[in-house]
Amino acid sequence: MKTTLGYNHSTSNSSVSEGQRVVSSIGTTIALVSFAMLFVTLMMGFAIFRFTAPVWPPQGASKPALLIPSLSTLIIFLSSVAFNYFEKQPKERRKYFNVTILMAVFFLISQFLFWFNLHANGIFTSSGVFASILYSFTWIHAAHIVLAFFLLLWLAHKLEKSGIAPNQHLIKNIGLFWHFLGIVWLIMFVTIFVL
Amino acid sequence: MAFFEQDIHDEPKTFLSKYIFSFDHKVIGKQFLWYGIFFLGVGGMMALLIRWTLAFPGQAFPVLGPILFPDTNGVVPPDTYAMLFTMHGTIMIFYAITPILIGAFGNYCIPLMIGARDMVFPTLNMLSFWIAVVSGIMLLASLVTPLGAAAGGWTSYPTLSTLLGSPGVGQTLWTLALFVLGVSSTMGAVNYIATIITLRAPGMGYFDMPLTIWGLWLTAILNAIFLPVLGAGLLLLTFDRMFGTTFFLAGAAATSGSGDPILFQHVFWIFGHPEVYILILPAWGIVSDLLSFFARKPAFGAKSTALSMTAITVLSTVVYGHHMYSSQMSPLLTQSFMMLTMTISIPSAVFFANWLGTIWKGALKFDTPMIFSLGVVFVFGLGGLTGLYLATVTTNIYLHGTYFVVGHFHYTMAASVLLGGFAATYFWFPKMFGRMMNEFWGKVHFWLTMLGLNGVFMGMMIVGHAGMHRRIYNPFVYEFLQRLIPLNQFITISALLMGAAQIIFVVNFIHALIKGPKASQNPWNVGTLEWTIPTPAPHYNFKEIPVVKCGPHEFGNPLLKDKDFQYQTEELVKA
Repeated sequence: MKTTLGYNHSTSNSSVSEGQRVVSSIGTTIALVSFAMLFVTLMMGFAIFRFTAPVWPPQGASKPALLIPSLSTLIIFLSSVAFNYFEKQPKERRKYFNVTILMAVFFLISQFLFWFNLHANGIFTSSGVFASILYSFTWIHAAHIVLAFFLLLWLAHKLEKSGIAPNQHLIKNIGLFWHFLGIVWLIMFVTIFVL
Repeated sequence: MAFFEQDIHDEPKTFLSKYIFSFDHKVIGKQFLWYGIFFLGVGGMMALLIRWTLAFPGQAFPVLGPILFPDTNGVVPPDTYAMLFTMHGTIMIFYAITPILIGAFGNYCIPLMIGARDMVFPTLNMLSFWIAVVSGIMLLASLVTPLGAAAGGWTSYPTLSTLLGSPGVGQTLWTLALFVLGVSSTMGAVNYIATIITLRAPGMGYFDMPLTIWGLWLTAILNAIFLPVLGAGLLLLTFDRMFGTTFFLAGAAATSGSGDPILFQHVFWIFGHPEVYILILPAWGIVSDLLSFFARKPAFGAKSTALSMTAITVLSTVVYGHHMYSSQMSPLLTQSFMMLTMTISIPSAVFFANWLGTIWKGALKFDTPMIFSLGVVFVFGLGGLTGLYLATVTTNIYLHGTYFVVGHFHYTMAASVLLGGFAATYFWFPKMFGRMMNEFWGKVHFWLTMLGLNGVFMGMMIVGHAGMHRRIYNPFVYEFLQRLIPLNQFITISALLMGAAQIIFVVNFIHALIKGPKASQNPWNVGTLEWTIPTPAPHYNFKEIPVVKCGPHEFGNPLLKDKDFQYQTEELVKA
């Protein structure tokens, strides 16, 4: 009924890791679609609040200062760039990887600064819908950053144990998740903070 | 098209690795089956309490009542009634149907029917079950919190579900439990999709997969895409309840700024409408297969069945608005949603006609799985057709929130999915546990269940059409509903009959587990891959990865000599 032989890859070692690469990249793609749907829903809620309000921000609220969010954007951008170098560059990979992890920590610190700053300016979670959005969306994003941070630490542990060569698809997929969170932050920065 | 060599793992030896923290998809499937059956019992008891209250308001529930509600001498109190219908819906949908149809049969059938040794991510699979257990414990724990469990309906619309409507910790636990369960189901979905794409046996194209696998696959895709939508809504609801944000609060309740309670309804139904297809698609797939297996005929238009299920999957994502016609939607929007919803009846009619085409002039064998499948054809027909009245804006405005809606979704969700689940249980029990269930008591179970459920759900549609509203503790305080008391008593007696019939099932199940006659390798004479291996399936499933050479429904080929079916591993017999 079907020519079956075409499906069978050769059983050499290279095809084993090739198969694992395909499988883990399919798994990662589906997982990223799921994560994306979570953030898409949040952004949809934001869009509805934004476009149905007569003035934005509503109820006399004001936009937070752009300094700290801009800093966060810069930090997460640098971390993505560093990860990209770590993935692609043959030399000094360890250095780039350390920069990524350091930047992840800095990003979380900048988020805490942002929350403390809001709090100091008298903007609380209960101060209306705009404050709710500011706090909740950054919380949810930061929670995913923490998750990705643990994945990075796990990757560091793996690299320590087995060198760098055999984990290419793992590096790629964790990198995809990390870049994905960077893109989500960028969209949030532009739509919620800047516009 | 296996992407990589699948190793044969060593057989797990210790009790823990064999039965508790097992990586084996078959064990995880059975764990989900126990989990689902347990919650089916809990949710069923709740249904009986609800029914009793509606038929005999103010009377003590027999036997159990005085133990559960000592303060009221066994009468279900009004606030408990609200908790009961909320928890009944939640438990049945998320903790009974989902684990049985998707968790148990998804896990058990996918690798066996596509010729794989296990799921592609076994660890994720195990985590998925244990996270579901955590979620189940959280939900059950909410029953014993000071102000009781969630009581805002299974939809938990704000403001019923915000601190204003339900101040207790029970609603918070409900929200978190559902979020955790969503994580578990999404993990399962990632696993199912990746497994079906990558681990199909060599030679098995997508249309050579059994339709069961098609149903489970489409379900997993919907799960992966739409569970996070509910997750987002639940997270924001949790923040509203725990941290004082104001997403779903409106008016005076919010200190400043203004939230939007309707937003939760949108988010809920963007997830919720695909969810009803998440629940029904596996049952459709299973029934499509079983009808062919027991009619001893190729499935009529198997390809178009698969494609119409796919079309329904796509359409299900754009019809959610029909749940919200009465939320002051603009007429343009309601009519668009009405049109889109009506469109679903086209692919539904296609595969329904295919079911009838499959049994048309077949050599029907009325074994228990078959009569349950035929039951699904009947009840799903009824449930589907009554859906048209609810999809139409004009009739929906009158029927919205009545027992007609309850009758409709019980015909599709409860009746079809339950009967489909029973069909699957009777059908795969031999492969799962190596023994046969009793045929006679299986048939008794079917007829009593069928009689009971039609009494219940048909009755619900009649009282609903007569104007009885759902979720009311004692509808008979309204004079115009008082003449519905006898009909409500009939419904409750039918429900008790249906409940009693499940005792037969449980006894049959346990008896078959311990003392049932040993099953042969292929008791139903079916050609799909799971019947080519010993019974019960060994821990590595397939000694050699099978090579698939024909479709799953090759029955009654006149060129076959000694049998009327052929295995998927055999070359199609041609003249």
